[in-house]
Amino acid sequence: MVTIELYGVARLRARREAIEVAARSLGEALAALGAACPTLEPLIVAGGRLAPGWLVALNGAQITADLETPLGDGDVVVLVSADAGG
Amino acid sequence: MGRGGYFERYLRVDLGRPSAEHVPLEEATRRAVVGGVGLGALLLTRETPPRFDPLGPEAALVLAFGPLVGTPLTTSAKLAFVAKSPLTGRISDGLSSSSFAIAGKRAGLDAIVIVGEAAEPSIVLVDEEGAEVVPCPDLWGRDVSISEASARLREAYPEHRFAVIGVAGERLVRYAGIANEGRHAGRGGLGAVLGAKRVKAIGVRGSRPVPLADAEATLRIAKDLARRSLGPATEKYRSLGTVANLSTFNRLAALPTRNFQASTFEEARRIEGEALHDTRERGRGSCKSCTIGCEHFFEVRPGERPVKMEYENLFALGPLCGIGDPEVVLRASSACDELGIDTISAGGTIAFAMECAERGLLPAGPLAEEARDLRFGAGERMLVLLEDIARRRTALGDLLAEGSRRAAERLGGEAPSFAPHVKGLEIPGYEPRALQTMALGFAVGTRGADHNRSGAYEADFSGKVNRFEASEESAAHAVAAEDRAAVMDALILCKFLRRALEDFFGESAEMLRAVTGLPFETEELARAAGRITLVRRLFNEREGWTPAEDTLPARFFEEKLPGGAAKGAGIDREGFARSIKAYHARRGLDERGFVPAEVARDMASLIGGKNR
Repeated sequence: MVTIELYGVARLRARREAIEVAARSLGEALAALGAACPTLEPLIVAGGRLAPGWLVALNGAQITADLETPLGDGDVVVLVSADAGG
Repeated sequence: MGRGGYFERYLRVDLGRPSAEHVPLEEATRRAVVGGVGLGALLLTRETPPRFDPLGPEAALVLAFGPLVGTPLTTSAKLAFVAKSPLTGRISDGLSSSSFAIAGKRAGLDAIVIVGEAAEPSIVLVDEEGAEVVPCPDLWGRDVSISEASARLREAYPEHRFAVIGVAGERLVRYAGIANEGRHAGRGGLGAVLGAKRVKAIGVRGSRPVPLADAEATLRIAKDLARRSLGPATEKYRSLGTVANLSTFNRLAALPTRNFQASTFEEARRIEGEALHDTRERGRGSCKSCTIGCEHFFEVRPGERPVKMEYENLFALGPLCGIGDPEVVLRASSACDELGIDTISAGGTIAFAMECAERGLLPAGPLAEEARDLRFGAGERMLVLLEDIARRRTALGDLLAEGSRRAAERLGGEAPSFAPHVKGLEIPGYEPRALQTMALGFAVGTRGADHNRSGAYEADFSGKVNRFEASEESAAHAVAAEDRAAVMDALILCKFLRRALEDFFGESAEMLRAVTGLPFETEELARAAGRITLVRRLFNEREGWTPAEDTLPARFFEEKLPGGAAKGAGIDREGFARSIKAYHARRGLDERGFVPAEVARDMASLIGGKNR
């Protein structure tokens, strides 16, 4: 299983902090996330893709939007806003 | 088609004589630097002699408006305060918003330049005719809060809008800010510049409509921009505000903690934006002429006035000082606002002092005695220390009122290696080792460590670079981020709009054409962005800048991050030096980072003034 962690607007919209999904790639994980949390569609995830302005940090480290990124059991997908302005 | 956006003049106020005169502002200058920070940097250079004391009578404080303020364009009610920073000795500019900016522009002015020193504590009242310097013995030296001073001035002069300094500005705290209507030009000690001139407040009054060259086109653009400002590109700011950053940064191990000794904070859950939103949010607000409404107000205790909170205040007065009590952080932020001090520099300098105290680096005597209970996490002690700093009323408060760089130099030993600043300006809430393109932006910034004049963190958050490595590619992103910021700050529009602009330079040029009637083109605006950075660099060079200043404190090269998703991350000194050289090349500077002589000669005729 893969854990998807939600922060900021995504957490507010989904009303949860994390969700576990079965996925072998980032695209599959995002599709499962959109199905489980329809309030994230289409402004945060859209049909298995990331909406503009959203990215993921795989296990909190490198940031990517590559849907082909392979995922394994225990991986954590951190969904983050690309807008880090403070 | 007529021309608009500019009144083609600025007001020069000499407090010493006192006198005020209108000075023409030629079209070549307006085209070259647009307005806002660009105009402010140019006028500061023009109006001052080389190597002047930022707290002396020769110092100038420039209030520069953009061509868009007073128009229907959303978020355009802004101005730039520009001066030589008493904290850094280099250029500093702070943006602020709301009715003050509109009233100043509608006094028929593109800028106000204040030089000299008043004979006694005073306020400056500006209107369409000129300026008047009025003594204010009942406001100066009476320890009145920013709110109270503002309220008294509004009552005495109901037609004016005021920018005010607090007790910290009067006492020349080197990171005192200037406040207007709840907004703050916080960074770099601009409030001390005004305090040294014995000016408690600047009041502006004006009723001249800002001319629009093409009113129909301006309105069309304004409507479209307002619509987009309410879309997904700004949802973060509307729903949570900038405090949303804290939980994300903590997860990515990019949250500066305990004076940059760590980048994750174990008490982050107590103060993260989502928690504040759920348990304490009591309302939203916005600047004048803004459709976004990014301000979020949070309850301290029931019955007390809610406090506005931003990410930078939250990080600096919270994790950076090891403090996770939301009530303490809210109180500290409110205290900074009422005393008139920059929250980032206050938090950074106190965090530095906490580390010094824990390491036993404060010399025996009053400093060690006063710091005996100063430790990371000591929230109540921090609240008292903020008051001590603003009033310079204890030995420790007086030392820390100088900022972390000067305090470290005075303490000596290993202290300078972990004083958290670049060029003397304390580092904002972006951990350099976890966001290394941002680290480059900090190092080369003309204002010092600065997240507003360089949004290079956007590259780190884009997936296009390795955020744990500063590379030559980072240099391209750092230049691009600086250029976008320079244009937004010259126009001036709020940076929270930037993701709503699909073609940034093209749309900016279109706005300028509609408002001013001048044939601004996309390429011209891109060149203006670079020119604004060069004007700032030339000012810094004139004031003594050396290439050695474009770096980070030793800690970031010598200590790895201890935990979280960035565990083990550090900055490679040689790689970082290469990225700086790459930045210089892309910026058109020579190998050491100086503006080439032939470029400086060309710029000299544009800048003009006493010294070129």
